[in-house]
Amino acid sequence: MAEFALKARAPLDGYARTFGTISLAEEAGLSLVSAAVPQGGDDALAAALAAGLGAARPATGDSALCDRYGARLLGMQPDQMFILFEAPDPDRAAETVGDALGPAAYVTDQSDSWAMLRIAGAGARAALERICMLDLDAAAFPEGRVARTVMEHLAVIILRDGTDRFLLMSPRSSARSFLHAVEVSIGNTAG
Amino acid sequence: MSGPYRIDGGAIDRGRSLAFRFDGRSMTGHPGDTLASALLANGVRLVGRSFKYHRPRGVFSAGSEEPSALVELRNGAHREPNTRATVAELFDGLEAFGQNYRGSLRHDLLAVNDLLAPFLSAGFYYKTFMWPKSFWERVYEPAIRASAGLGRLSGEADPDSYDKGFLHCDLLIVGAGPAGLAAALAAGRSGARVILADEDFVMGGRLNAETHEVNGRSGTDWAAKAVRELASMDRVRLLLRTTVVGAWDHGVYSALERRTDHLAASNGKPRQILWRIYSKRAILAAGATERPIAFGGNDRPGVMLAGAVRAYANRFAVGAGRRVGLFTNNDDGWRTAADLTARGIEVAAVIDVRDRRPLADVPGARILMGGRVTATWGRRGLKGVELASGERIALDCLAVSGGWNPNVHLTCHHGGRPLWRPEITAFVPGGGLPEGMTVAGAANGTFTTAAALAGGHRAAAAVLDGLGVSVAAGEAPGASDEAAGVSAFWHVRESRGRAWLDLQNDVTVKDVVQAHREGFRSVEHLKRYTTLGMATDQGKTANVGALAIMAEQTGRTIAETGTTVFRPPYTPVPIAAFAGRSRGREFRPTRLTPSHDWAAGQGAVFIEAGMWLRAQWFPRPGETHWRQSVDREVLQTRGSVGICDVTTLGKIDIQGRDAAEFLNKVYANGFAKLAVGKVRYGLMLREDGIAYDDGTTARLGDHHFVMTTTTANAVLVFRNMEFARQCLWPGLDVHLISATEQWAQFAVAGPNSRSLLRKIVDPEHDISNEAFPFMACGEIGVCGGTPGRLFRISFSGELAYEIAVPARYGESLMAALMAAGEEFDAFAYGTEALGVMRVEKGHAAGPELIGQTTARMLGMQRTVSKKKDCIGNILSERPEMNREDGLELMGFRPIDRSQELSAGAHFLAPGAEATMENDEGWLTSVAWSPELGHAIGLGFIRNGHARVGETVRAWDGVRGRDVPVEIVSAHFLDPDGERLRG
Repeated sequence: MAEFALKARAPLDGYARTFGTISLAEEAGLSLVSAAVPQGGDDALAAALAAGLGAARPATGDSALCDRYGARLLGMQPDQMFILFEAPDPDRAAETVGDALGPAAYVTDQSDSWAMLRIAGAGARAALERICMLDLDAAAFPEGRVARTVMEHLAVIILRDGTDRFLLMSPRSSARSFLHAVEVSIGNTAG
Repeated sequence: MSGPYRIDGGAIDRGRSLAFRFDGRSMTGHPGDTLASALLANGVRLVGRSFKYHRPRGVFSAGSEEPSALVELRNGAHREPNTRATVAELFDGLEAFGQNYRGSLRHDLLAVNDLLAPFLSAGFYYKTFMWPKSFWERVYEPAIRASAGLGRLSGEADPDSYDKGFLHCDLLIVGAGPAGLAAALAAGRSGARVILADEDFVMGGRLNAETHEVNGRSGTDWAAKAVRELASMDRVRLLLRTTVVGAWDHGVYSALERRTDHLAASNGKPRQILWRIYSKRAILAAGATERPIAFGGNDRPGVMLAGAVRAYANRFAVGAGRRVGLFTNNDDGWRTAADLTARGIEVAAVIDVRDRRPLADVPGARILMGGRVTATWGRRGLKGVELASGERIALDCLAVSGGWNPNVHLTCHHGGRPLWRPEITAFVPGGGLPEGMTVAGAANGTFTTAAALAGGHRAAAAVLDGLGVSVAAGEAPGASDEAAGVSAFWHVRESRGRAWLDLQNDVTVKDVVQAHREGFRSVEHLKRYTTLGMATDQGKTANVGALAIMAEQTGRTIAETGTTVFRPPYTPVPIAAFAGRSRGREFRPTRLTPSHDWAAGQGAVFIEAGMWLRAQWFPRPGETHWRQSVDREVLQTRGSVGICDVTTLGKIDIQGRDAAEFLNKVYANGFAKLAVGKVRYGLMLREDGIAYDDGTTARLGDHHFVMTTTTANAVLVFRNMEFARQCLWPGLDVHLISATEQWAQFAVAGPNSRSLLRKIVDPEHDISNEAFPFMACGEIGVCGGTPGRLFRISFSGELAYEIAVPARYGESLMAALMAAGEEFDAFAYGTEALGVMRVEKGHAAGPELIGQTTARMLGMQRTVSKKKDCIGNILSERPEMNREDGLELMGFRPIDRSQELSAGAHFLAPGAEATMENDEGWLTSVAWSPELGHAIGLGFIRNGHARVGETVRAWDGVRGRDVPVEIVSAHFLDPDGERLRG
């Protein structure tokens, strides 16, 4: 038994709050691993994805659900996707994906790089309208879409995983500024 | 009744009364009133004083083009000067003040300026305040500023909040008059995504101000019904009180929505929102603005635009006067006589400049065809007019119509110039429209209601067709075409008194003539010389008349004379709206290190480093000066062990079969042969061979590296490497992802660092000097299996490590390191101590890497490997960058050890004069070395290595210091690096 033990702290300490019809809460339990595709390795990756995660690779800007781990694959750029999932052991999230995909992908743990905020409810879109320059109309940004963007000068990955549900990921170090930006947007639009 | 001038009808809510005050006088109005209509209803005609001559000014228009009725709205910190009373919606408790007077509005002491008018004509201050030169700043300018200018700022911070936002649509329609509504109905019924924006607080445009009929019902009713239908469509968004102020690239428009300006208080919500609207197409249906005719004394309160007089009567139920005259050059003006008569207001005279048959019989009115108004009288408001015939007619309001100008502004925001159409005597949109924009209705020069409705409908159908949307069946709403004949008549030549063009800037016909006489022939010069068309209204009612007069002077046509350039914004936008939320501490985001809360708990003093907040030092009880804290942190670290959060350094995870080859190309020095489990210092050059960043890269596997960059260049280096990967060498298998935020990283430095880490690093990892020597790295377990990374690198020059764990464990690791270090008397150190130690060690950092620094200047010319190519390699060989007598990084210490040094001081030979020619280099970084007990510095000096031991002067003209210093090695401590290898 080591003399000291390390305790994990979520970027927003598990923040959760309801504003009228809008709920805003940190998603603290999820792991996020990037997987880059080796050059010329598209077919190998497709096979590895099917075998290892039970999923097909999403196009950039799309996401796909996996049979294993309840994972969601996020198509981030032509040679890169993210895997968002509940890792059996969060300390070994990258290894879990690495084991599943083998040499078909270069994996890097990104779980601690991003604070994750879920905004949901009827007013969510109106609130996001104040900071998100993307068109979140259902026709332009349907369920399952994912995009990199900027909100209030901060990098954000936005995923729509419900009619009025969005997962927002923004860098960990500025998570409090980001939370503030979203809270202000809700306050400015709700009620 | 709310005021003696209130009449029947209109679109105000008489069921409710709103109390308001103007210049201390209490009055009432109704919902649906503007401040201007409520003032007129109460018989208030004098609302302000003019810019230069302090002449009485009243309400001139009924819209955003208002040049004259400018007021200060609200109180205290909420006070907003230069507000146009014609667009200020009345609310209960509104308080406003007339502006630009000294004494009282009625008895303005500065009205004396009016008597001095002959001396204050166009360009007067260019000519008058020429000498003595010193008087300009001290006497003339303060005096001019005190007497000119308009409203007063509160001088306090704006207490309201503002926001921004982003909207998207297939079709943006600017203006909700007949053309805009017809377009919106056609598009909305076809299922298109529409945004309809209007600056007014009721949609309908001129339909609300006139008595036109649409589809057999009153225009106002038709507009209200159309708006109800549009509001029921979920693909249509109606933006009331929203002015589209600018047209930008790619169908992007900016619009200012006034959310709470019409309320007594904002209740915590943003007062205004600046929208960025992304549109696939846009229809400009911005209508037209009426223009006046210039004649003597035409600025007197009571002289108004004819369309405004109709708007006040028809929409606001206000008689602008009790005995009204009409002065027109066109058919439309005659509607005023008909409308007023129908509402029981006496029309005393109709004066039409045209020699033709009267358009109508106006009961009780003198009809004067071919007539001219040459002068007016009345001290603070109109009492009557004088005609060219010498006849005098008593009037308290003169409605003037000189024709209508299409609101072409937004069509010109991409450099388009409007076209002159003589048959309507107006500029219409020319070529060069913003892509995707079409124009409909009066903005396009089609002035009749029927044509506007049809034009809007047609424009929408064409746009939808272009977007591949099938157009819903249906025809344009029907209306009749009104008479719209007009003659080109700009000013009354027979006038003897001053004939005003620009009521806001006090520019007269004579000023334009004089400007021409003095050689200002271009309209742009005319504008600057006379101030015509400047300020809040941008000459919406003044410009075309002035151009016409300019054209007469030059003998050119109006088309040849042209307009000044129309630029955004269309109407004023408060600076606060541009700032939005980015005020005070929310000017930009803040980045916090994993140990931030821990450091704050220790009382750390923080410093901004980009967006980061970093601990600068950690004061202990009893320390009263920052130097005490920093000196202690340095001595503590060098004496035992110190801990510093270095998470802010950029970290880039690099993987791929060709990762090593890639690094070989982006670093100046070689990386291909770096062994797994080893770290190497690396220097990066720009394309031009200048050194721009340095750091270390660790090889974790054959195809896996982790690079660190400086804090400041983390993003730049990543971007450059992405560019290199994607564009320079797309054939390499290499993949990058930022890991800056992923890992919390701490420097553990000092002779006891290994002992401390042995308590933290899991025992299966041997970190002895033999197993884990200087520049080793590896993946480790920390505190019982938490995954971590350990690097044996040193910035301080001591035996040192950097230890990293996933960021979620960072704060906890900091606490564990401090607890484990207790027996070694470990302390945290901040960026100041970090800086002192690196200067003692002679490491280059930000102050040395200034965008002109070569590898040779840093003494690293041999680092630039010639066995391989790298970015910047060839250009780093340029002879000037490799001169033998070039600048070299050296150490400096004061001859008199008690003297301080200052960064930025320049080196001069003893006795040399402080001139550019004698400059030999400069001090880049200085520190007080607690280890050595005196000040030390790093700096660049010519041919430095050959001059060790020589004395030069560090001359600092800014702080008035001149310190003799000795040139020494940059490595003040442990030059052979025994400590860090121990």
